[in-house]
Amino acid sequence: MHKRNRLFVSIALVYGLLGGLIALVRLIDPSLIPGNVPRAHGHIMLLGFILMMIYGIALHVLPRFGGFPLYSEQMADWQLYLANAGLPLMIAGWLGWRDMLVMAGGVLTYGAIVLFGLNMILTVRAKGRGKTIPVQ
Amino acid sequence: MKIELIVSGVCPFCLEAEKVWRAAAADHGFEFAVLDIAQPEGAVLAQRLKLQTVPALLIDGTLRAVGVQSPEEALALLQPARQEAHDRMQQMGFTFSPDNRGFILAAQAYLMLAGLGLLLNGSFLSDNAARPAFLHLFTLGFMLFMIYGLASHMLPRFTGNPIREGVWPWLQMGLAHCGVIGHAVGYLAGWHTLIVVGAVLTWLSLAAFAFRVWPVLWPAEPYSNSR
Repeated sequence: MHKRNRLFVSIALVYGLLGGLIALVRLIDPSLIPGNVPRAHGHIMLLGFILMMIYGIALHVLPRFGGFPLYSEQMADWQLYLANAGLPLMIAGWLGWRDMLVMAGGVLTYGAIVLFGLNMILTVRAKGRGKTIPVQ
Repeated sequence: MKIELIVSGVCPFCLEAEKVWRAAAADHGFEFAVLDIAQPEGAVLAQRLKLQTVPALLIDGTLRAVGVQSPEEALALLQPARQEAHDRMQQMGFTFSPDNRGFILAAQAYLMLAGLGLLLNGSFLSDNAARPAFLHLFTLGFMLFMIYGLASHMLPRFTGNPIREGVWPWLQMGLAHCGVIGHAVGYLAGWHTLIVVGAVLTWLSLAAFAFRVWPVLWPAEPYSNSR
């Protein structure tokens, strides 16, 4: 499994624990964490935990199930950078009531989503660049 | 599995033992190493095990025999380890292990329950009291359980590294069930304490999952399959 994909899964676990912890603290004492905590929690869990888990696993299995190598390793690397730059900005924006940060983070996160979507379409559409690869 | 033979340069029987164990290790595909007590590695090991006799045989770091064994005796000594390796291979089969099957089945039950609740209450977009209950039945009950079942099944196969088994998956599952149900019931009944307890239990199940999966992603030994 590619190191980048293992990083995606590992970061997903960290975000999952972090997102759960934030919600727990909020449940116990709503005044402890400032800002829009429910929205931060929801996005940490969905974009940080679920989506990054999907990124890591899909980048590994879809090329193999599709029978072609990943269309672009570089796109996937940039997807990792954008996703992990975007989400912290969004979290900071919500907790600090800074809409501009949320917007900037959202744009970066969306960039990662687009890179992933295009990379997967170009990989799975059965006209991949390279030779077929074995499922392993 | 690793077989280690501790020998001495002045021992007349050690060469014979080495031949037997080298052949046995090669036959069964086990790792094999010979350690001389005159060398630092062998000396440390001999001191730790308080060895009085060589050749001495270690299987996975445990002293199993001293002296020279026949090929038949070697096979008998390897039998438990071969059985263990066989059992491990069975667990790494293509089909779901019982715990992962349980996670996937439970996820479908939570999905149907969450869907029914959201449908009946019309609460997906509204803000009534049932919304967080059924929303969390969907996200924690369905999505989280699906991730538990699929990731625990697939990641060891992708990486070739074993996942922590034994009591851990069942503890994770118990915590997750109690957590999700407690959390949802807490919201429906308006019991804040139950909401918090459910959330704590669910979080602990996620921590248990991370504990199980981490060595799959980042094994202690150098990663050999980086691509």
